[in-house]
Amino acid sequence: MKGFKLSAPILLLLPAFAVLAAVVLVPLLLSLYSSFTPFRLTRPETFFVLIGFRNYVSILSNPDFWYAFGRTVLLLTIALNLEMLLGLGLAMLVEKATRGQRILRTLMMFPMMFSPILVGFQFKFMFNDNIGLVNNALQSLGITQDAIPWLIESHLAFTAITIAEIWSSTSIFAILILAGLLAMPKEPIEAARVDGCTPWQTFRYVTWPFVMPFAYIAMTIRSLDVARAYDIVKIMTDGGPAGRTELLWTLVGRTAYSDARMGLANAMAYFSILLSIAFTVYFYNKLAAARAQIGAEW
Amino acid sequence: MDENASARLTRRALTVAHRVGLFLAMLLICLPGIWIVLSSLRPTVEIMAKPPVWIPQQLSFDAYIAMFSGIGKGGIPVLDYFRNSLIISVSSTLIAVAIGMAGGYAFARYRFRGKSGMFLGLMLTRTVPGIAMSLPLFFVYARLGIIDTHFGMILAYVALNIPFTIWLIDGFFRQVPKDLAEAAQIDGCTRWQAFWQVEFPLARPGIASAAIFAFLTCWNEFALASQLTRSVNSKTLPVGLLDYTAEFTIDWRGMCALAVVMIIPALTLTYIVQKHLVGGLTSGAVKG
Repeated sequence: MKGFKLSAPILLLLPAFAVLAAVVLVPLLLSLYSSFTPFRLTRPETFFVLIGFRNYVSILSNPDFWYAFGRTVLLLTIALNLEMLLGLGLAMLVEKATRGQRILRTLMMFPMMFSPILVGFQFKFMFNDNIGLVNNALQSLGITQDAIPWLIESHLAFTAITIAEIWSSTSIFAILILAGLLAMPKEPIEAARVDGCTPWQTFRYVTWPFVMPFAYIAMTIRSLDVARAYDIVKIMTDGGPAGRTELLWTLVGRTAYSDARMGLANAMAYFSILLSIAFTVYFYNKLAAARAQIGAEW
Repeated sequence: MDENASARLTRRALTVAHRVGLFLAMLLICLPGIWIVLSSLRPTVEIMAKPPVWIPQQLSFDAYIAMFSGIGKGGIPVLDYFRNSLIISVSSTLIAVAIGMAGGYAFARYRFRGKSGMFLGLMLTRTVPGIAMSLPLFFVYARLGIIDTHFGMILAYVALNIPFTIWLIDGFFRQVPKDLAEAAQIDGCTRWQAFWQVEFPLARPGIASAAIFAFLTCWNEFALASQLTRSVNSKTLPVGLLDYTAEFTIDWRGMCALAVVMIIPALTLTYIVQKHLVGGLTSGAVKG
């Protein structure tokens, strides 16, 4: 080792990279390789047969895959946008409160403590068509006599999943946007008011630009584990009814473990990884841009 | 005068609207949790009742007693799951925080080539969905024979936590002024001493919250655990929750009780760290 000296930061980062290489990178390369084979768990010898891009071709020509893909993107788009809006609303409500802010903030974080699998189970319970809280309430209030088949009818099931997803993740947005609102200097708002801005203009041109980077932090964190939705869907409907709420991740799991077709599943997994990376990089860039804008303005 | 009165009226109406809005929002947030706690305390007959029984007639801890009295008495091996969860979560948290401190310090204090690229790369490893990650891991683990062991789960969870731990700890070290450590070094400390005597104590609350966050991630993780664990040797609580579901029936009351058991540690820990957590996540936001 004489004459060879690693610089301090590299040395400090080495353990992190070593673990990540062993647990993430190497397995990923392995799965990349196996996505070019017809590998089935039950037949180990198939691991060494190369079939080129046939797995990818069969995925791309499979309508079920594209439905799952489209549904995943749709779910993420709806959920992220609504979470952002609701989180903003919630943060502003709490910020305006004059008393009991600490209690309110704690209550607001409540859903963050639920693991996704608990969220899934809890909403499965509440949306149960026979004994669920939602149907019971609707019937007791006399809004409907029938048991609404949430989780059984495909559109309703998708709605129920979206609601569960939004319930569980809105608080991340709310808490971070609230941090932004509290950290914001008060003078610009007063100045805007004195200059005759309407409340809407004050919000749009003064508050919002300042809060934006905080919203993007929340987006970045969320996009780091968008796949949380897997747990929720797995518990609530398991992709049913008849595959109508199948997302990319549940499809991957089913192909790999129920059908034991690892090669094919790995090829699909690569699509879901690319999707996650696209989301993360997009929001990370937005974050950098929003930061730069604040830096210039304040 | 008239204008004054109407202005006052508008203001009062706005206050009331704000109160009502806040109340409704909080109700929506808390209701599912309250319902779970309530359901765990009432007899199954009441949960299944048609028309619904809104106000519980009697409360009992039967579900909890059944759960902890072990297999055969309508319970599941909750104590084993609990122990597994605890062992796996605590050890992977400790390791992840140690590694994360080294990494976070490097990002906060040094300038080096490819720094932001490395940071983004680190984050990207976290984006790989658990279920996609589980396929190759399952294969590798099966080859190494570490499926269904504590070691395998700990290793996976350390890797899962490192990126986020580094992000958080990086933020906390950045909040500690550089001058302090430099002053200590001028006074004769080595860099190593300066770190432990000056920077570490100042960043400690933040590091503690990073640790709790890592712990919660492990405590709640399901996608990986459901594939990499097989039996009471290593099954964690989230996977154990599924024991209450049979082919066509679900023991709702038992599930609710286990949910409460899972949520209480998470609730307590999150309450402790809530202040630091936000600080760590956002410290880089404004200063860049």
